[in-house]
Amino acid sequence: MVAPPDNDVIWARSLHHSHNGSPGLGGVSVGVRDGEILAVTGPRGSGKTTLLHCLSGQLVPQQGEVWYNSVPLHTMGPRLREQLRRDRFAWIAPEPQLVPELTTWENAALPLLLRGTSHRAAKKAALEWLERLDIAALAKKRPHALLQAQRQRVSVARALTASPSVIFADEPTAALHRADRTQLLRTLTTAARSHDITVVLATHDVEVAALADRAVALLDGRRVSTVTLPAVSDTEGRSACSLSV
Amino acid sequence: MLALRLTRGTHPLVLARRLLVAAASAGVGFLLLCTLGYASGHPAQATGSVLRLLWCLVPLAAAVQFAVAVARTDPATRPRPGLFAIGLGPVRLSVLAAVSTAVSTTLGSMVALLLFLHLRGDLTGMPFDGRATELLGAGTPLPLAAALTLLALVPVASVLASALALRARPPVASSPTAPDGAGDPGTSGAPSGLPWGVALTAAGLAVEAYASRGPAGGSPFPLPGRLDATPAGVLAGWTLTAIGLAMAGPGLTYLCGRLLQAVRPGAVRLLAGRVLMDEARRIGRPLGVVCAVLSGVIAAAALYGTGPRPFGPLTALGAALVLGCTTATLLTSALEAKQARARTADALLRMGAPASALRGATAVRAGALLAVFAPLTWTVAQLAALPLTAA
Repeated sequence: MVAPPDNDVIWARSLHHSHNGSPGLGGVSVGVRDGEILAVTGPRGSGKTTLLHCLSGQLVPQQGEVWYNSVPLHTMGPRLREQLRRDRFAWIAPEPQLVPELTTWENAALPLLLRGTSHRAAKKAALEWLERLDIAALAKKRPHALLQAQRQRVSVARALTASPSVIFADEPTAALHRADRTQLLRTLTTAARSHDITVVLATHDVEVAALADRAVALLDGRRVSTVTLPAVSDTEGRSACSLSV
Repeated sequence: MLALRLTRGTHPLVLARRLLVAAASAGVGFLLLCTLGYASGHPAQATGSVLRLLWCLVPLAAAVQFAVAVARTDPATRPRPGLFAIGLGPVRLSVLAAVSTAVSTTLGSMVALLLFLHLRGDLTGMPFDGRATELLGAGTPLPLAAALTLLALVPVASVLASALALRARPPVASSPTAPDGAGDPGTSGAPSGLPWGVALTAAGLAVEAYASRGPAGGSPFPLPGRLDATPAGVLAGWTLTAIGLAMAGPGLTYLCGRLLQAVRPGAVRLLAGRVLMDEARRIGRPLGVVCAVLSGVIAAAALYGTGPRPFGPLTALGAALVLGCTTATLLTSALEAKQARARTADALLRMGAPASALRGATAVRAGALLAVFAPLTWTVAQLAALPLTAA
């Protein structure tokens, strides 16, 4: 077992994982430095989400090691990993994944409430972040009354309210239009830089990856230096596909 | 055929639920056949036979309610984006549900027929041959058309009810693409049945108290099988009370949820209360029905439990059916609510919510409901039994 470098907040070595036999990751090593914004790029199906799941302790890789601040995640029990996710990590999914029964501010305050913070303090923190994300006017509405972009901003507010040490954002803007996308990412990256939060951002979009400090490219579950897919030929692959189906 | 193929691949628990439906259908079919046997054995006592047949309506209703609840939770008939995309919309899915309900209830009816004939002594070669010939009116030929009609009652009623219930479900078109967190806006807001329910319950109790003042001497309210005259007033009072409780159920559940999440709640209380408020309609109705049935049972036990021969085997079967079906319906509805919230629970777990918090929220919900509905059931039962025992 090799001790991880000191300046990496998350450090993973040769992760292998397969979903019921379907290949997911095939030997990915990656280090995330403290306070940086790291983009994990690659086309759909290249293993970005699986990598983020492994790094955030939602999945235990079948082979390989994951360290968070010199603590091994791959040997932790589910309860400890749960606590780590609650106290140190935040997750932004492609879909907002809000709790439909709760109002906007309650959704944003939920991580704090789950940690046992007092009602008053949780509400104050949640309302502050909703204010910064320009959705304070909607604080008392339920998620179904909001637009998709607003819901996704609530989920960003929920991630930031918990003042985590690492935010994992898995394609946070995949379902949004370009204007909403730019605003959301700008807010997220600005907030992360000013509050010294590490962000691991999975995206297939080159423009989005340009906002990050550093990019790691994945292809078919492996780390590559550049993603270059074969160019599309004029015959649309007719010569390559000679099967008669 | 698709229904059968889907059935073959389903989880054992789902199959167990369907088997329970079949068992309920078998019980009701058996009771109906018993009344038929009694009627053909005692042609002189037509009124008693009709009374017995009418009493069978209660287990019938409970069995149909259970069949509908099972059809609603059946994963094979849940709206699925994949099936929706290939043209299996709500209409076809309700047909699927109807077919699988028909299969299980008809199976139950067949079992009831075989068991009935066997206990009468018409089919021989197994233990307990003809052990209950007297009770089931052996010796007189069973009218075939009547038997088939009675046996078809449960399947036909369940199929119609489940097809209608699933037709009324909101269309699936939005759900595959709708982001989660975008719950159905129609489900929010308080259920409106509470005042009506309270009024009906009170009216039922009053009617019953008034009706039971009547003739002195003798039991004011005989169970079936005792050939006294049944005062319609008492029966109407009990029915009104039951309907009132079923109507008040959602409103009471909503109030429970509202109280739970009041005054600076933590995460557990917040989740428990809000979920209860949102699920009030789904959980409240069967809960009210269970409450009504239990209060009826407690009142009946207070009235007849002290006699030399409290009740016969068929009455016991009927009571067990009603109790079992309503309780199973309640549990199935709770399961349906859990299935509907599975994605939210997943998202919460991904956020790092401890599983114990989610379990705690469920326990708090159940505790709150128990704390409200148990005293209510007991009070209604005591109030219902009071005028009859005092007379």
